[in-house]
Amino acid sequence: MLDRYVALVNADPNSVCMGIPPHLHEAHKKAIRLTLQVWLDTYIDDFRDPPLFSSLSQIQEFAKVYLPDSDLSIKINHKMNKLKKEDEAKNSHLLGRILSVNDLNISFPAAQTNGYSQSNSTMNLPYEFLCIPETIFAQQLTRMDAVLFQKLIPHQCLGSIWSQREKARANASPTVVATIEQFNAVIYRVQSTVLVETDLRPSQRARLITKWIDVAQELRLLKNFSSLKAIISSLQSNPLYRLKKTWNAVSKEKFELYLELARIFSEENNQLNQRELLMKEGTAKHAETAHADDRHLPKAIEKMSINPLAVNHGTIPYLGTFLTDLTMIDTAIPDTIDSGLINFDKKRKEFEVLAQIRLLQGAANAYHFEIDDRFERWWDSVLVLDGKEVFDLSCQIEPEGSSSTPSSAKGGRSKSLGHVKNNSIGENSIVSSNDSFIINHSDASSVERKLSTSSNSSLPSVNMSVHSSGTSISPSTPEKTPRSSIHNSEELSEISSQTSLSPYINQDFYIIKVSVESEAHEVEGVNLYKSIYVNNSERTPSVIEKAMQKHDMEGDPKDYTLAQILPDGEMILPQTVNVYYAIKLTHELKFVLRRRRHGDENTIIRRNPAKNHKNIVYNNEYVEYFELRNVTCKSVQAARIIYKNMGIKIMYKTFNHYKANDLHYFFSSYKK
Amino acid sequence: MYVSSSSTADISILKSNFNRNNILRMSKLPSEKLSTYKLVVVGDGGVGKSALTIQFFQRQFVTDYDPTIEDSYIQHTEVDAEWCILDVLDTAGQEEFSAMREQYMRKGDGFMLVYSVTDKQSFENIPHFYNQILRVKDKDSYPMLLVGNKIDLVHQRKVSEEMGREMSQRLNVGFIETSAKDPPHNVDAAFHDVIRIIRKFPPPPKKSRIRINNKLKCPLM
Repeated sequence: MLDRYVALVNADPNSVCMGIPPHLHEAHKKAIRLTLQVWLDTYIDDFRDPPLFSSLSQIQEFAKVYLPDSDLSIKINHKMNKLKKEDEAKNSHLLGRILSVNDLNISFPAAQTNGYSQSNSTMNLPYEFLCIPETIFAQQLTRMDAVLFQKLIPHQCLGSIWSQREKARANASPTVVATIEQFNAVIYRVQSTVLVETDLRPSQRARLITKWIDVAQELRLLKNFSSLKAIISSLQSNPLYRLKKTWNAVSKEKFELYLELARIFSEENNQLNQRELLMKEGTAKHAETAHADDRHLPKAIEKMSINPLAVNHGTIPYLGTFLTDLTMIDTAIPDTIDSGLINFDKKRKEFEVLAQIRLLQGAANAYHFEIDDRFERWWDSVLVLDGKEVFDLSCQIEPEGSSSTPSSAKGGRSKSLGHVKNNSIGENSIVSSNDSFIINHSDASSVERKLSTSSNSSLPSVNMSVHSSGTSISPSTPEKTPRSSIHNSEELSEISSQTSLSPYINQDFYIIKVSVESEAHEVEGVNLYKSIYVNNSERTPSVIEKAMQKHDMEGDPKDYTLAQILPDGEMILPQTVNVYYAIKLTHELKFVLRRRRHGDENTIIRRNPAKNHKNIVYNNEYVEYFELRNVTCKSVQAARIIYKNMGIKIMYKTFNHYKANDLHYFFSSYKK
Repeated sequence: MYVSSSSTADISILKSNFNRNNILRMSKLPSEKLSTYKLVVVGDGGVGKSALTIQFFQRQFVTDYDPTIEDSYIQHTEVDAEWCILDVLDTAGQEEFSAMREQYMRKGDGFMLVYSVTDKQSFENIPHFYNQILRVKDKDSYPMLLVGNKIDLVHQRKVSEEMGREMSQRLNVGFIETSAKDPPHNVDAAFHDVIRIIRKFPPPPKKSRIRINNKLKCPLM
C-alpha cells in the first residue's frame, strides 16, 4: 500500500514538470491530502514501525515539500510526536512490568496470607466464586470484552491477514489475538472452577455448573455473545460434558435453560441462529428474541425489559464466525481479476463483513460498567489449567469408562468396537492396502447385511466391496481398468498382491462405454459404444463433453444427459455429481448419451414399468424451478428461491430430508 | 486433471431387449430420509482447510459466493450410487478458540485431519487432533481421513508422502494427498472417501444421525 503512495508521491513532481494544468494538479494534491488525512486518522497503526517510523517520516518529508503549512503537515508532525512518545512509554512500561513482576513474586505470599488472615476487612477480599452476584459477574465480563472489542481493528480479521500460520498471525493481528485470549480465559475459568476441587459431591459440583448457567443467562440479556459462547463452549467441552453424574444433579429447569442458550450457537445451517440473532439485536436496545421453543429465556427477557435501568446495552458478537467468513471469502475469491487488476468484488464482500463489525463496535459504546476490584481479584486468582490437566481432573472425578455403562447404547457400541479392533488384524478379511480401515470377518458380513436391508428397493445393491466371503473380492467390473499413474503404482501393486481392494483407494480413473441414443441407432438395434476415461475429479458436464467429442457430436453439452444402463432401467447422472463416484460399479459401465428431455433433471433412476408403475406427470407450472436447478445446481437453494418468489417463507429445514430430485413432489403436493 | 482418452472404440451389438422409450419414463419415489453425514474438517490454521472446502463446494456455486448463507456447506452428493447429504463443518479461522473444537468434534460423523505437506509442525500436530477426537467420542477408533494438502508446492514440500502414509498406518486412518489449487487434485476424492469410511464404519451411521438430529441432547437425557 505504502509503495503505491510512494509511487504516487514520486509521480507527483514529475507531473508538475510535465506541465499538467495547475487546476488538475490542485485536484491531485487535494485528493492526496484527504487520503493521507483519513489514513492517518483511521489507521494510525499502519505507521507504527518504531524506532524510525520510516513511512511516516516519508510522508512528513512529502508534506514539507508539497503541502507546507497545511493541516496535513501539522497533523503528521503531531502524530509523529505522539507515536514516538507512545513507543517510549511502551518501552519503559515493559521495563516497568518486568520489575513489577519481580516485586510481585516477592510480595505475593505476603499478600495471600494477609488476605486470608484479615478476614474482617471483607471489602478487599476477592469474591468467592459462588458468592459473586450473576449480574455483576456478567457485567464485569462484558466490561472486559467491550474494551477489547472496541479496540479491535476490523481489518485485522481479514482472511489474508488472519489465515496465516500462528506466529505470523500473532504479529499481524494483535487485537484479534487479544480478543481470543480473553475468550479462552473465560473458558479456562469455567473449567477450572468446576473441576479444581475433585472431592465435591455431584450435587455440589452441579451448583458450580448452575452458577455458570446463570451467568450465561445474564450475558445473554446483556447481548454479550462472546463470553456467552465461551461459557457454553466450556460447558460442552469434553472435561465438563462427560461428567454425567454432575449433570444429572443439575436441576431440570437450569438444564433446559442451558439448552436454550446453547441453541443460539448451534452450528446447524451454518450458524443460522446466531447470525439471525445478531442481525435482529445487533443495534437494538436490549435483548428481545428468543427461540420459539424456549421457555425460560423469554421470561427473563420480559423481566428485564420492565426494569428501566437495564436498557441501553450494546452488543458484543462472537468474533469467530466473522473470522471464518472472512477466511472463506479470502479463499474463495481471487485477489485480482484476469487482467491483474485488484478484484474489487472481493474487497466489497470483505467490506460488508467489516462494516458489520464496525457497526457493532459502535453499538458496544453503550456499555458502561465500572471496574469491580473484588471481581478483578477473583478473576486473577483462578487457577488456569491446560487441556490435559483439566481432562485428568475430570477423569479423577468421574473415571474414564464409567460413562460407557452397559445400560447406555453408547457403551454397547464401544464394546463392539473393541471387538473389532482386537480381532481384525491378521484376519482373513478386508484389509485395505494402506491399512486405513479394517473390518473383521464377522463384522463385514453384518455390515453387508445391514446395508442390504437398509438399501431401498430401487437401489438393489449398494455396496460393492464388503463381502463376507473369506477372501475379499474386488467389485466385478470387467471394464474397470485400474491403471496406475506413477504416483500410486506402489499402492496398486500392493492391492493386487493382497487381492483386496480398499473401497476408497485413490484409483485414478475408470473407463466407461458410452453410446448415443438416436433414432437411427434404435432402428438398427445396434449401438456404437465408445470408451472414455472418467477420472476422479470429473463431474457430469465434463464427461458429457468428452463423450460428445468422441462421438463427433456438435452442440451444447448442456443439452445432453448421461445415464448408466442398468439391468432394470437406467440411472441418469445429475449435473452436479462426480461421475467417478456416482456410478454403480456392480454393473457394467455402459452409458447412454441423449438429448435432455423435460424432467430429466429430476430423475435419477428410471425403471421398467413392469416393476414400478408410478407415473409422474410434470406440471408446466414448475418449469421455473427446473431451470433454477440448472443454474444453481442446488435444489434446496432453488426451492427456497422459488418459495420466495411465490411469496412464501419457509424455513430451509423443511427441505432438509428431501432428496435433491424429489423436491418436485413436494411442490406438487403443496400446490394441491 | 484430464487424462488422455483412449482411442479404442468398440462396437457392441445391443439386442434391444427393451424399448427404452417406453420403459424409461419412471422416476424413483422419495425414500424416507436421506442419510446426513456431518464431516468436520480439523487441522492447524494456514494448512489450507478452507481451500479444500471451498474447492469442493465452489463448483456448485455458479453464482456469487456468500459464506453466510445457511446452506453454504451442505451438499447432496452421490457415492456408490447412494445419495446422501454431506454437511461440512469447517471452522477455519477459529483454530485458536480453544475448547470450542471439542464442541464441534462431538457433532462429527467423520473427520478430515488436514496438514500441509509444506509445514512440518502442522503434520506433527495431527496426533493431537486424532487423540482429541477419540477422547471426545470416547472410542478406540472413529472414521477419519488423514489429508496431506498443498502438494502443488513441490519445492516447498517438507513432509513426504511416505511419512504421511506411515502416520496414517500408525493411527489406523485413511490417507490421501491433495491440492486445492486449480486444477484440484483429489479434492472430491477426499470428501467422498470420508463418506465411504463413515458408511463402512460400525456402527452404521443411523445411530449417530439420530444423535445429530437431537443435537445438544445431553447424554443424561
